[in-house]
Amino acid sequence: MTHQTPPEHFQGKSVTEHLRDARRKGATASGEIHGEDLPSHLNESLSACSYMALALLLLWLMGLSEKALALFALGFLIWMAGSTALRAWAKMERLHRLIEEERWEIEHHRAQEREELSELYAAKGFSGKLLEEVVDVLMADDNRLLKVMLEEELGLSLEREPHPLKLAFSTALGGVVAALLLFLGAKLWPAAGVPLVALLLIAGSALFTARWDKRRSLNALIWHLALALFATASVYFLL
Amino acid sequence: MKTPYVFDEFFASGREESISPFFTQQGRRWGKNLALKSALLSALLLACAFALSFVNSAASNLLLIAVYFLVGTPALIDAIEDVRNLEINIDVLMTLAALLSVLIGSALEGALLLVLFELSASMENMVMLKTKSAVLSLQRMTPKTALVVADGLIHERATSDIAIGELILVQAGELVPLDGTVVSGSSELNLVHLTGESQPQPKHPGDEVPAGARNMQGALTIKVTRISSDSTLNRIVHLITQAQSAKPKVERFLDRFGKWYAPIIILLALAFAFILPTLLSIPYLGKEGGVYRALAFLIAASPCALIIATPTAYLSALSSCAKRGILLKGGSILDAIAGCSIVALDKTGTLTTGTLTCSQVAPLFKTTYSPAHALSIAASLERQAVHPIGDAIVRFAQAQKAPLCPIEDFKAVPGFGLQGTALIDGQKMSAFIGHPDYIEEKLPPHLLKSFTAWRAEATYKDQLSAILLIDDVLFLFTFEDEIRPESAPLISALISQHYDIVLLTGDHSLHAQRVGSALGIEKIYSNLRPEDKLNKVSELAEERGLIMVGDGVNDAPALARASVGISMGKIGSATAVDASDVVFLHDDLSSLPWLLSHAKKTMRILRENLTLALGVILFATTPALLGLVPLWAAVLLHEGGTVLVGLSSLRLLRMGKTTRQI
Repeated sequence: MTHQTPPEHFQGKSVTEHLRDARRKGATASGEIHGEDLPSHLNESLSACSYMALALLLLWLMGLSEKALALFALGFLIWMAGSTALRAWAKMERLHRLIEEERWEIEHHRAQEREELSELYAAKGFSGKLLEEVVDVLMADDNRLLKVMLEEELGLSLEREPHPLKLAFSTALGGVVAALLLFLGAKLWPAAGVPLVALLLIAGSALFTARWDKRRSLNALIWHLALALFATASVYFLL
Repeated sequence: MKTPYVFDEFFASGREESISPFFTQQGRRWGKNLALKSALLSALLLACAFALSFVNSAASNLLLIAVYFLVGTPALIDAIEDVRNLEINIDVLMTLAALLSVLIGSALEGALLLVLFELSASMENMVMLKTKSAVLSLQRMTPKTALVVADGLIHERATSDIAIGELILVQAGELVPLDGTVVSGSSELNLVHLTGESQPQPKHPGDEVPAGARNMQGALTIKVTRISSDSTLNRIVHLITQAQSAKPKVERFLDRFGKWYAPIIILLALAFAFILPTLLSIPYLGKEGGVYRALAFLIAASPCALIIATPTAYLSALSSCAKRGILLKGGSILDAIAGCSIVALDKTGTLTTGTLTCSQVAPLFKTTYSPAHALSIAASLERQAVHPIGDAIVRFAQAQKAPLCPIEDFKAVPGFGLQGTALIDGQKMSAFIGHPDYIEEKLPPHLLKSFTAWRAEATYKDQLSAILLIDDVLFLFTFEDEIRPESAPLISALISQHYDIVLLTGDHSLHAQRVGSALGIEKIYSNLRPEDKLNKVSELAEERGLIMVGDGVNDAPALARASVGISMGKIGSATAVDASDVVFLHDDLSSLPWLLSHAKKTMRILRENLTLALGVILFATTPALLGLVPLWAAVLLHEGGTVLVGLSSLRLLRMGKTTRQI
């Protein structure tokens, strides 16, 4: 009997794409703090926006002139964008080294790789002759085997990383938008425009990320605003 | 359906980020030709910085910093690497000059040096990247899996997991995955890309078959005699890898020149810094000091003229070659071509068309049957099979306008031939066509003796091709690998240019002799396996520079090892194209003599450019720095020298338009 899968289950994607996305979701949910489901470039952009807003707010509190703030914004922007790209390239270098090591293992330790593969698929519920056949099929093609080992053994996802330059541009864009809005705030309301816009930007970034991740938005919003106020107040009272 | 990612391509490219498995498709596009994009952006920023320098020096400096960041950082890393390897070359000199130029207020000139250098290096890298995939195309061709026959069952297994002695099944149309011996089945194998033999080889039980050969007809069961890593195709992969590493690295003219020039200039600058204050009674430090003048000398000694002399000449030459459909994988290839004096050519596909042509149909013994009748029957049988010999007969019949006749009881015997009953004028005639072994079995006793006697002689004369038996009448079909019409003028043009010509082929010696003598080639080496070709090319290239021209997989190791490898873009195998340094995109070798003279002229113009650039340094800049000539005159000469070098290189572009014929 054939089961009719509801079309909304796949959301217009092929089964392979659906499975890949599902695996990706699982990996990112348990990933490090910057590895949310939010696309990396958007994440970098929102982070840069928050960092720029907070940095300019703190310096504004210290009484720096507009020109000094603008120059700081330029330097900080270049640093943030550049360091984002360098970090992403460093990550790629690490990933490329891993793939090279796994390929070497496949070429030189086939018996051990076969054992690992058997273990991986036994854990998925395969056993006996069926397990042997699955392992045989996977071992028959080194290209496919490398892909499987990268994904199943090392838990890496292929074709997922954006280019470091894209991340750098996104970072720069986030920083530029934050800086421009802050300067606009300063022009329109010299007395409180900067803190107001800064807090709005930080709140907006936190809210957007939380909504995207389907987390509790209010919690995220309050925590981020509280953290920003804590940092600002600490500087203000020690001035 | 989405094509699976091929990791081999990534590894063969040297982990090129534009094909990284981790990047998204969009990410890969971002990474494509990144160095070139960065150099072009720097050039744009530099132009803006120059324009702004007249109105707003702060903005100009800001853009200059960006230029130094984009192209200066990689140049500095490379220069430090060179110094760590105790190599003081033109790159080190250029980087040193560019960075020091900031100290004496000539940041624009320093940035220009960096941008020009990065532009030429990134363009060269772009074409070099393509050469890294030679082994990849061969790996793509190598079957990764094989059908293993065990306990009456057939399993698909990785070739790397199959041991010696195991049985594998190779079906019609498939590539043989591993070297082995035929255990059961008969077929014909196409070996043209492995050995250069244009005629398919019949294979029967007991015969050896190499990995990479294409099985044309019946299924074969093969007993594996060599494991995957030791198979014929993998041995070719190893041969190419070894040949590429053994190949003498072609140094750019500027590199050779820079090896002695850079240390001398750096030493002279140091000497000026210490000697000038004593000699001219000037202070060590300050704007008029010895150190300042020494720095100025160092910067002036690696001027734009010197930096653009090589890339402009190479790019102009490459461009004129491209107009003729000749693709060179880097300007340094022109250096190598100019240093060669031997041209080695492959036979099948290079000097010949590589396609079998039926040249003659003749009765073997006296008969009343006409050859036209025989051709009709042969073509009627062969049109039902897929085979190079069959194709040649059908094409010949079409050209001769021979009518086809109905065939009944058609049967193909893989590896041997075809049989059927032809209906001509209401008469039924049994017909057999194929290999002489096959026909011999069908002969009536009264013909057998004379056929055996004829066959012995015919083998000697290299006339053996295909035999048609109609009832008890025999016809001989002769085939030729046709010589290209442009081959004869090409060889005579090369000889008139005083090149030694050598013919290297994996084909039978009789075929090679026929082609060699028709073209006037005296040095002929035949029956060469890929490793034999490689050894012969290595041996010849040891003595003098050698150009190898070939098109097959079997030529790839030799193409990789030769001083210069030339292949043909359309008919050439992907492996040969990748392993070669030059590709004739239109397969028209008549441009080869032009390319050889063009390379020599490029080198002459390059030397003239460098002489001009050095002349400017020696006779204008240095006296100016010593206070002997007004500075404005030195600047004028310096810039004039740069323009002259650029114009001189453009002469190479003009040659491409005017010299169309040999």
